[in-house]
Order: sequence, then structure tokens, then C-alpha cells
Amino acid sequence: MGEFLGAALAVAAKDLRVERRSKTALVSALAFAVLTLVIFNFARDAASLSRSAMAPSVLWITFAFSGVIALNRSFALERENAALDGLLMAPVSRAALFLGKYLANLAFVFTVEAVALPLFVVFFGVDLRGAVGGIILVAVLATAGFVAVGTVFASMTVRTRFAELMLPLLLLPFMLPPVTWAVQATARLLSDRPASEIAGWIRLLGLYDLVFITACLLVFPSLMDE
Amino acid sequence: MPDTVAARRIASRGLVLIALGLVALAGIYLLALGFTPVERFQGLPQKIFYVHVPAAWCALLAFSLTGIASGLYLWLRDPRLDRFAESTASVGLMFSIIMLTTGPLWGKPVWGTWWEWDARLTFTLILFFLFLGYRALRTALVDPEERARFSAVVGILGLVLVPFVHLTVYLFRTVHPQPIVLKPSEPSLPWDMLRTLLASLAVFTVLLIGFVMTRYGLGNGEDRGNRDNREKGDGNGR
Amino acid sequence: MGVDVLPVSNAGYLIAAYVVTAVILVGYAVVLWRRYKRANRE
Repeated sequence: MGEFLGAALAVAAKDLRVERRSKTALVSALAFAVLTLVIFNFARDAASLSRSAMAPSVLWITFAFSGVIALNRSFALERENAALDGLLMAPVSRAALFLGKYLANLAFVFTVEAVALPLFVVFFGVDLRGAVGGIILVAVLATAGFVAVGTVFASMTVRTRFAELMLPLLLLPFMLPPVTWAVQATARLLSDRPASEIAGWIRLLGLYDLVFITACLLVFPSLMDE
Repeated sequence: MPDTVAARRIASRGLVLIALGLVALAGIYLLALGFTPVERFQGLPQKIFYVHVPAAWCALLAFSLTGIASGLYLWLRDPRLDRFAESTASVGLMFSIIMLTTGPLWGKPVWGTWWEWDARLTFTLILFFLFLGYRALRTALVDPEERARFSAVVGILGLVLVPFVHLTVYLFRTVHPQPIVLKPSEPSLPWDMLRTLLASLAVFTVLLIGFVMTRYGLGNGEDRGNRDNREKGDGNGR
Repeated sequence: MGVDVLPVSNAGYLIAAYVVTAVILVGYAVVLWRRYKRANRE
């Protein structure tokens, strides 16, 4: 087990190390997040739509799109290094390979979200109060779900011609449930609803994660066949 | 791969089923328009129900078949399963297009809006995108074995997704008509409407089977080996 | 059969829906039929 985790972390570390050197993808994802927040603020009709009504949706649109951008960045990585073949030679199990990529993608997306969230609070004048913990939990759960599926699809689409288009197209149906539930939960958290109302959504998100992370782990090796 | 003679036989039988189904469809139209009462509140457009619901049923059924075949393919690696999955996905895409066009045509006169982001309509859109994505991926992959494997992954993950989308349906209040037929208690649809619906469901199912058989027998033009490009040009046509 | 008086325009939606459905189904059938014939000619 320790070896498995070690292998996964090694894969993740390699991915992230390359990322740290170039930094371009992280910067563009962040810029995109900021841009989205700014545009939404100016694009609404202040008289009819309050900031707080829009807030959960805007937050999650930002998170969702940044997530897709983050997953896209892995393409450049694969292509430049022909990394995959190198990795397969090494005695890394396919499950560990998936886990490593997944963790790297998660780290990336979480970083973007960690920056976007405070910005969101500032731009939208959201009073987080006691909701911070809940919002972070919801964000972590929902992100973990669609990034898992995204990691699988990214590995598939990297070899195709219109990879940057193919990935969002495939991923969209899989993002809709977790993002929808996250918006619902976030909306309730921000309006200070009782915990009982929110627990259901969180359970759903957890279930989604459980099911899909398992499914992706099971299915990923098929992508790596010779 | 099924050999050509057997494949052709499947295709020809499929075509016969399609022909029968289309004739029966005309009968359904007659039944729905001439011999079924007009619903009191929704009026004439309610009759779209008799094509919309069966189309939705077929799309969902086709999708489940794609998903199951995909899972089986990943397990057994039989190319026929891949071919079957591709066929059901293609036919399912067609039915979901019918679903997505008849839905708004029903919605506009009855609810006043072409589209409503309620859970059930969103579900139909998700299904459509799953079919589309499956097909797009297949188009983009050249190696047959890789194509079969990768699209099977999409297929099986899509199947796993469906229950979650269903869950979402029941968690949201919706403008979509509440399930009145598949309720555990007695269906609250009056008999003359119910029988039209059931008849239509049967006909659509026959069409589904016919289309899938034909498509399976004909292949899809994805890789044609010795065949010339003329065939391939038409092959991705639907 | 007839019930209340309904706006005639609403019939348009019904007709459109039935026509679209038929066109898609028949169209796809025709496409498959033509491919079948072409395959059999070879």
C-alpha cells in the first residue's frame, strides 16, 4: 500500500514540477477566474438581480470553467514529454498512475479555487460568516468528483485532434450533477439555512465522489492497454 | 466481426422491421389524432405526448444498451459488442433528437416557454450530449481497437451517471408533468389515452430494434478495410 | 371527441411535432436503406 501511494505521489510530483516551472497554465486559469468574476458583476442588472442571488452560480461557473482549463493543461504536458510512455516503462501500476495524475490535477484546480474564493468574497460582498467551512467542503467534494472523470477523459482525448474541444464536450454531462448540487448547497450555506437542509446535498456529493472515483480507478487501466 | 452474409441478413431483417414499424407509426398517428380524446387542460398539443414519451423511452433504452455493451466490451473485448454499442448509440442519438425537438414543441403551447431548465429536460439534454460526445470521440479516433476501448469507457461511465441524473430529477420541483404512468399505484391516465401511449411505445420499440439491427448489420463505415471511400463518406451520415 | 374550443394555432405545434418525428424516422430509414442497397451491389 505504501509503495502504491509512493508511486502515485511520485507521478503527481512529476506533473506538478513541470507545472511549477512553466506557471503559464496556472496564471491563465487564475486570470480566467478573475475575468469571470468581474464580468458577472458588470453583466447583471443591478435592479433585478441581487448579488447574493447570483453568487452561488457565479462561484461555481468560475470553479467549473477553471477546472476544465486546468485539465486541459495536462495535454501540453503529455505531448511535450511523451511522458506517458516513459511512465509505463517504469514499474508503476496503472492505478497508481491514475491516482498520481488525479492528485496533480486536483492540486492544480484547488489552487485556482483557493485564489478565486477570496476574490469572490470581495467582489460579491458575500458575508461568509460561519459558512466558510461548509463552502470549502462542498467545493472539495464537487471538484473531486468531476476532476476524477476529467482525468480519465483527458487521458483519452489527448491523442485526438480537437482535444481542447473534445474534453469539455465529454465532461459536460458529468459536471452537471455535482455542480448543480454544489450550487444548491452553496446557496443554502450563504443564506444561513439549517444544517439539515444542506446535509442531503453533501451526502449526494460524497456518494458521487465515491462512485466515480472508484469507477475511474477501475476503468483507467483499460486506457493504457498496449 | 459478423461475417458479411450473416450481417446482411441481420440488416435486411432490420429493414423489414423498420418498414413495418413505420407503417404502424402511421397507424399510431391515426389513433392519436382521430381516436383519442383531447386532453382538457392542455388541448391538442398534449397529443405530442404520444410521440415524445416513446422517443424518450427509446433514447433511454438505447443508452442503457450502449452502456451495458460498453461494460461488457471492456470485460470481454469482443468487437461485436463494440459494434453493437455503436449501433445503439447512433440510434439513441436519433431518438434523443426527436425527444429534444418534440419536447419544446409541447412545452411552448402548454407552459408558455420553449425550454425550462427543470431537471427532466436537463436530463434529456445530458443524454443528448452523452450520445454526441460518444460519437464525436469515435470519429476522432482512428485505431479500431483504441476507439472501441475509449468509447466503451465513455459508455460505461455514462451509464453510471444516469442514476445520479435521475436523483437530481426527484430532488427538484419541476414543471415537467409528474410521472403519471409509471407510478407504483394505478396509472391515472384514462384508458383511451393509456392504450394509445402503450401502442405507440410498442411501435417505437419495434422501430428501435429494427434500426439497431440494420445499423449493426450494415456496420458504420468507421473502418471498412477494402471498401472504398464512397462508403465511408456516407457511413458517418447518421 | 371534441371538447372545448381550442386556439387553432396550437394545432400547429402538434402538427410540427408529428411531422418532425416522422421526417427524422423516415429519413434515417431511407439513409440506412440506401446504404444497404449500396452494400449489396458490391
